[in-house]
Amino acid sequence: MPLSRRALAAAFAVCVALPLSACGSSGGDSAGADASGKVEGNITFQTWNLRANFKDYFEGLIADFEKKYPGTEVKWIDQPAEGYADKISADAAGGTLPDVVNVSPDLVAPLAKAGLALDLDKAAGKYREEYLDGAWASHQVPGLKGTYAFPWYLNTGPLFYNKTLFKEAGLDPEQPPKTYDEVFDAALTMAEKTDGKVATLANVPTIEDFGRYGVPLMNKEGTAFAFNDAKGVQLLTKYKELYDAKALDPQALTATPESSGKKFLTGAVAMNPGSALDLGNFKKQAPNLYKNIGITDQITSTGHVNMYVMGVMVNAQTKRTPAAVAFAHYVTDAEHQMSFAKKVAIFPSTAGSLDDPYFTKEDGTDETRVRVAAAKSLKNAVNYTPVLFSEQMKTALRNEVAKALQGKESPKEALDNAVAACDRLLQQQG
Amino acid sequence: MASPTVSRVRRQLPSSPWLFAAPGLLITGAFILYPFVSTLVNAFTDRRTLIPGEFVGLANFRELLHDDMFWIGLRNSTLYVLGVVPALVVLPLLLALLVQKNIPGITFFRSAFYTPVVASIVVVGLIWVWLLDERGLVNSLLEAIGVGRVGFLSDQWLLLLSAMAVTVWKGLGYYMIIYLAALANVPRELHEAAAVDGAGAVRRFLTVTVPAVRSTMVLVGALSSVAAFKVFSEVYLMAGPSGGPAGEDTTLVMLVQRTGTGLTGRVGYASAISVVVFVVTVALMLLVLRADRKDAS
Repeated sequence: MPLSRRALAAAFAVCVALPLSACGSSGGDSAGADASGKVEGNITFQTWNLRANFKDYFEGLIADFEKKYPGTEVKWIDQPAEGYADKISADAAGGTLPDVVNVSPDLVAPLAKAGLALDLDKAAGKYREEYLDGAWASHQVPGLKGTYAFPWYLNTGPLFYNKTLFKEAGLDPEQPPKTYDEVFDAALTMAEKTDGKVATLANVPTIEDFGRYGVPLMNKEGTAFAFNDAKGVQLLTKYKELYDAKALDPQALTATPESSGKKFLTGAVAMNPGSALDLGNFKKQAPNLYKNIGITDQITSTGHVNMYVMGVMVNAQTKRTPAAVAFAHYVTDAEHQMSFAKKVAIFPSTAGSLDDPYFTKEDGTDETRVRVAAAKSLKNAVNYTPVLFSEQMKTALRNEVAKALQGKESPKEALDNAVAACDRLLQQQG
Repeated sequence: MASPTVSRVRRQLPSSPWLFAAPGLLITGAFILYPFVSTLVNAFTDRRTLIPGEFVGLANFRELLHDDMFWIGLRNSTLYVLGVVPALVVLPLLLALLVQKNIPGITFFRSAFYTPVVASIVVVGLIWVWLLDERGLVNSLLEAIGVGRVGFLSDQWLLLLSAMAVTVWKGLGYYMIIYLAALANVPRELHEAAAVDGAGAVRRFLTVTVPAVRSTMVLVGALSSVAAFKVFSEVYLMAGPSGGPAGEDTTLVMLVQRTGTGLTGRVGYASAISVVVFVVTVALMLLVLRADRKDAS
C-alpha cells in the first residue's frame, strides 16, 4: 500500500511543519495603515460583555453609523467578561481579530508590541484633541511610539462601608476614614471589638493600592518595576499587622473582587471598594445593607484616585482601515460617550464632557452624589495599573504578598522577590 | 472469489478504505495529533502567544528545574494522586455493594449517588465553596458544636484536602456504575459456596468479590490516577486563579493554564510543563498496568 504510506507520511509532515511554520510568522506593522480613504465595507466590532444590558444602545449606534456612511456594515460581536483576554489572544494568534475591539490598556500593550494595534497618532491624530489628555495617554505603551486605542469610558469609585458594623464596633458611622492611617486604625478597632469576626477589608494590596499609597511602580523609562521601595514595604508591613489582627479577612489571600464583594454584601466585611454601578446591586441584592450604606472617597495618599480606562482599538491588519477608524471614533466621540454614560454609571473620556450638568449637579440622591464626586475626582485621576503589568505579574505580586502576610517572608523580601519576578516576566515579554 | 466487476472497482479505487477513514483521520489529525505534535515542538521554543518563538533546545526544561512553582505543582499533583486514587478505588466499590441489592427504593439511591457525576463541575465547585467558607454551613455547624471555625479555604493543606474531597465526592457515582457492571458478572454460586463454608460478609468480600472485580479495580485505579494528576477545575474553583494562598495549592495543569494563556502567555514554557504532565501520566498508566500484570502472574 505505497499510496497510504505516502499519505500518512505527508500527514505527519504537515503536523510537524505547521507548528514550526507558525514560529516564523510575525505581527504586522501598523505604520503603513491609511485611514484617509472612503469609509465603506464590512467591519466587525467586538465588545466586552455589553450585549446583555445594552443591546438596544449598540444596535442603535450601529444603525446610525451605517446610515451616516452608506455602504458600510458593522457586525457586532460581544464576548463574555470571563476569559476575555484569552479570547482576544486566540483571535490575535489565529489571525481572526475583529476590525474594532473593546480593550483595556493592559490588553493593548501586547497587541501593539505584536503589531496588531493601529497607531492612532498616525492614522487618526486629527481626533486627538477631542479627548482628555490623560485618557488619550492611557493607551500609549512604554518602549513604543504612538497611541494604540481611542479612549472610551472611564470609571472610578468610592469606598463603600457598612454603617451598622461601624456603629456596632464603636466607630462613628458619619466620620468614615479618609486616609490610609485612618483606615488601618478603624480596621484594627473593628477586629478588636468584634473579636476578629468582622474584617474591615477583604483584599490583599494590589498594584493599584501601591500606586495610591504613593509607591513608585516602575522606573521612569518603564523598563523595570520599582514598588519594593521603603514606602511599599511600609504598606505591606501595615497589611501584615491587619492580617495578624484579623482586620483583613482570613480568605483575603485567595479572594477575587467578586468574592470580596459578596462578603461585603453579607456583612462579613465592613468596607469594600466599588463603583457607582454597585449602588444598584446593593439596592437589588441586599436592601438592608443599602439602607445602611456609607460612601466615602477612595483612599489615596497621592491626591489622585485610581481610574479604570476602557478603549476601542483598531486592528492594524484590517482590510477596511478607513471604516474601522471611523467607527472606533464614532463609538467614542463626545456625543455617543455622553449618551452611553446616561444609560450606565460610567464617565466619558472626551474633553469637556465631565462639565455637563449631569456630572456636576446633585439632586440629593446617593446616585447623583456618587456620580458627581466621581466625575470631580476623575479630572485628575490616574490609571495606576502599568500597561505592561500582565496577568502573570499580578499573580507573582499576589503570591509574594501572601507569603509576607503569612510570615513566610519579610515584607521587604516579598517585594524584592515580586519585583524580580515581574522584571523577569517583563524581559520575557520582549 | 471476487467477481470481475468487484475486482475492477477495487483496482480503480485502491484508496477507497482511506476515503472512508478520511473524516475520522482528519478529525484525529486536527484535534489530537496536531495539538500534540505542536505542543512537543513548542516545548523546545521560547514561543509566546503573539510573538513567534525560536528554537531554544532544552532551555525550558532546564528552567523548570529551578522554578519553585513547578515543584509546588508537581508536589500537589502527586499528592492529589496519592490522596484521591485509593479513595476512588475502594469507596465506589463499597457503594456499589450497598446499592447492588434489589430492595424497594434502591433506584432512588443509585440515582442520588450518580447525581454529582452529571452536575457541572463549576456548580459543584461553587456549592462546596459556599459550604466550606469561613461563614459557610460547615463552619457554622462546627462552631455550634464548639469546634470553632476551620479555615478550609484559607489554609494551604486544608484547601488541597477539601478539593480532594470534592473530587472523590463527584467521582464516586461514576466509578460506582463501573463496579455495578462488574459485580453483576460475579457468579452468585461463588458467594453461596463461600457462605456454606462459613465465610462471613467481610471474608466473602475479600475472597470472592475483590478477586472477581480486581481487573475493574485496576481500570478504576488507572483512570482515576491519570485524572487526579491532571486535576484543574476543583482546585481552580476552590483555591482561586492564583492557586491558593501564595499559590501553594497550584497543580501542574493550573500552572500550564496560568503560564501559557493570555496575551502575554509563555506558550513554549507552558508546553514544556505539558510534556512533563504527559510523561508522568503515561508512566502512571504503565505503572498501574505493570502492577496488575505482576499481581495476575
